[in-house]
Amino acid sequence: MSKEEVKVDENLVRQIALLARLDLTKAETEMFVSQFKDILDYVGILNEVDTENVPPAYLFSANQSVIREDEIEPSVPTDEFLANVPQSKDDYVVIPRVHNEQ
Amino acid sequence: MDLHELSIQRAHELLMSREVSSEELTRAYLARIERLDPQVKSYVTIAADLALERAREADRQIKAGEGLTPLTGIPYSAKDSLSTRGVNTTCSSRILENYKPFYDSTAIQKLNSTNAVLLGKTNMDEFGMGSSTENSGFFTTHNPWDFDYVPGGSSGGSAASVAAGLAPFSLGEDTGGSVRMPASFCGVTGLKTTYGRVSRYGLLPLVSSFDTIGPMARSVYEVALVLEAIAGHDPKDSTSRLELAPLYSESLKKVEDLRGLRIGIPKEYFVEGLDTEVNTALQTAIKQIESLGAEAVEVSLPHTPYAIPVYYLILFAEASSNLAKYDGVRFGSSERNVDRLLELYLKTREKGFGAETKRRIMLGTFALSAGYYDAYYLKAQKVRTLIRQDFQKAFEACHALITPVAPTTAFRIGEKITNPLDMYLSDVHVVAVNLAGIPALSVPCGISNGLPIGMQIMGPHLSEETLLRIGHMYQSQTDWHMKHPPCWND
Repeated sequence: MSKEEVKVDENLVRQIALLARLDLTKAETEMFVSQFKDILDYVGILNEVDTENVPPAYLFSANQSVIREDEIEPSVPTDEFLANVPQSKDDYVVIPRVHNEQ
Repeated sequence: MDLHELSIQRAHELLMSREVSSEELTRAYLARIERLDPQVKSYVTIAADLALERAREADRQIKAGEGLTPLTGIPYSAKDSLSTRGVNTTCSSRILENYKPFYDSTAIQKLNSTNAVLLGKTNMDEFGMGSSTENSGFFTTHNPWDFDYVPGGSSGGSAASVAAGLAPFSLGEDTGGSVRMPASFCGVTGLKTTYGRVSRYGLLPLVSSFDTIGPMARSVYEVALVLEAIAGHDPKDSTSRLELAPLYSESLKKVEDLRGLRIGIPKEYFVEGLDTEVNTALQTAIKQIESLGAEAVEVSLPHTPYAIPVYYLILFAEASSNLAKYDGVRFGSSERNVDRLLELYLKTREKGFGAETKRRIMLGTFALSAGYYDAYYLKAQKVRTLIRQDFQKAFEACHALITPVAPTTAFRIGEKITNPLDMYLSDVHVVAVNLAGIPALSVPCGISNGLPIGMQIMGPHLSEETLLRIGHMYQSQTDWHMKHPPCWND
């Protein structure tokens, strides 16, 4: 959509997949390359619209204050929260290690 | 008359006179679901035990005669994106297959507080991404009018459950037509509410700036009954509107005609690609609405051709952010046979998400990534401003707009699933409403080759009363909403 064409190839798709934390298969990667091209071509139609001096639309509700009094309310009991956690220990959420072993 | 044929009003009368108990009503629906839903496949979870418990509670309340409302003891279904305490809430995604929230969404909690009876949770396109329910991680829902056709999406299970007599009403959710399009395809009445009219607390988000919860039922009057039960400000949703919600059903009782209303017909919605029979049905409906005293005028929404690319770009971006939390750490499925955290993320998400969800996460990650943000996301948000301004100008000239809901009737299962862009284009008449945050009602207005046609009535922010008035008067003169699919009598 910018002046230079976006080059959609397997490298770009793999790079985006890593950012999105998706471990795509080879077949998915190939399929996305061709579908991305079609979809990005299609949304390119927005280039026809002059948006010079047009502000972006932000989340809109009526202008209203939603600040409440700072009152203490009961929170979720730890055991109810932990019931959905795949792996926990002593009220902590367990995850695999982040780094390689030294 | 079988119990599933009762309107909510009639069922309420029978409950109050204690000719029927909520438990009998609930058992009748559960038995019908067991018999018919293996073909329709509208439910992903049936909460039979909880439903019967709730029904008995309703019967006690009715006996005591305290705090009764028109929905006390009335069964219903809810889209699986609404959190239900202790009941699976999956958004029809494998990644949430066994997820049981520890709290109710506000809309569900409001229905619980009056002892309406949740029968179960309805199928949808995964996380709301689709127009046919074919993107469900579990199975495809069938259109009750013809099982070879899609029910529309993403609230396809909700629409099918109402159309097939498997629930008298359903709570749907509309991000870009997800209440209106399935309502149209299945011949039921559905309301996309003003952004913020119904609290989103406990709704699993797809696009936070588009998502709205709305009722689906057989008639406008029943939709009004449900809306007044769930609308209103909620301290737990800072975007919910502070304005008091009126008693919508009461105001419908006073309506006699549509005098004094000016109805805009946006010319951009009646162009090439619109099915001839859909167009004919709409022209007939517009004449009937004029005969009730309304005046029809042509209006223009010039940026309509850009609504789909704007909608999808913003959806890709917001959805990719909203779905980042499904990572196998705190809830949902989790691939634990891994060495490191990064692998947990990659494998859990690869296995848990379906193809369309991955596609949209990928496109959103791309549209938000360094170097492309201005060209895609920011550009789309600017054009969104122009689309909102189109509506503001149109509503200076009229009170409401009438268009088709979809350019065609329901399509065949499998027809569009291999071409995502083609599927996106079927949303051409519904997405602009979500970009502007305005309400829109979908009302049955015809049948073509055995499949229903829907009319869309849009209005300015918080104009639900006007939209319901138009829809209700239309239904008082026509019987399209009373027509049922062949499986109705099964």
